[in-house]
Amino acid sequence: MNKQTLAAHESLDIHEVLNFKTLCLAKSKLMQGIVFDQDLRALMQKDVEQSLQAIEELQAIYKNAPFQAPIPQTRPTPIIN
Amino acid sequence: MNNDYQDPINALNMPEKADMTFAMDFLIRAKEGVRNTAIALTETITPEARAVLRKQLHQGIALHQEIAELMLSKKWFHPYELHEQYQLDHLSALETIQIGQMNLFPEDTSRKSMFDRTPDEHH
Repeated sequence: MNKQTLAAHESLDIHEVLNFKTLCLAKSKLMQGIVFDQDLRALMQKDVEQSLQAIEELQAIYKNAPFQAPIPQTRPTPIIN
Repeated sequence: MNNDYQDPINALNMPEKADMTFAMDFLIRAKEGVRNTAIALTETITPEARAVLRKQLHQGIALHQEIAELMLSKKWFHPYELHEQYQLDHLSALETIQIGQMNLFPEDTSRKSMFDRTPDEHH
């Protein structure tokens, strides 16, 4: 069951959710450093921790996408500089 | 607020206003997350994917509520007193427009020469 590939449309949904979570993680992490209110900061820390976990879970599922490919050490060289 | 961003008068209540903006962004992100996850869930059939999305949806709903309650307690958000919310909405927009019209950054922000070089490559 685990080896079963995702359907194409499911994979694209996971792609969208994963990218959204990645951006949210980056933003909450950054904003924690400029927020004044410590309660707000604590809630952002919670979001950082939950996002880290969520991204791991999504990555595990995304491995079953029909277009999965080996992940290079660094970002592939961009076509446009 | 005046157009001189170095004028100390602009620091008055700045932490509060900044936090209000960050909290609003956080709330909207949480809301968007709930909607995105719910949509993804209705389009997914694989049980493992559904289990993960379902869990994250519930987590997202809980976080959204926590942010809303925090904002409510700090008086940054007035879902019941819509007149107050109306005033806040306009004040935030106006102040942010003023900030948007300020000249805050140097002309050239590329700073490209500081990055993207392996040592000696530029010789």
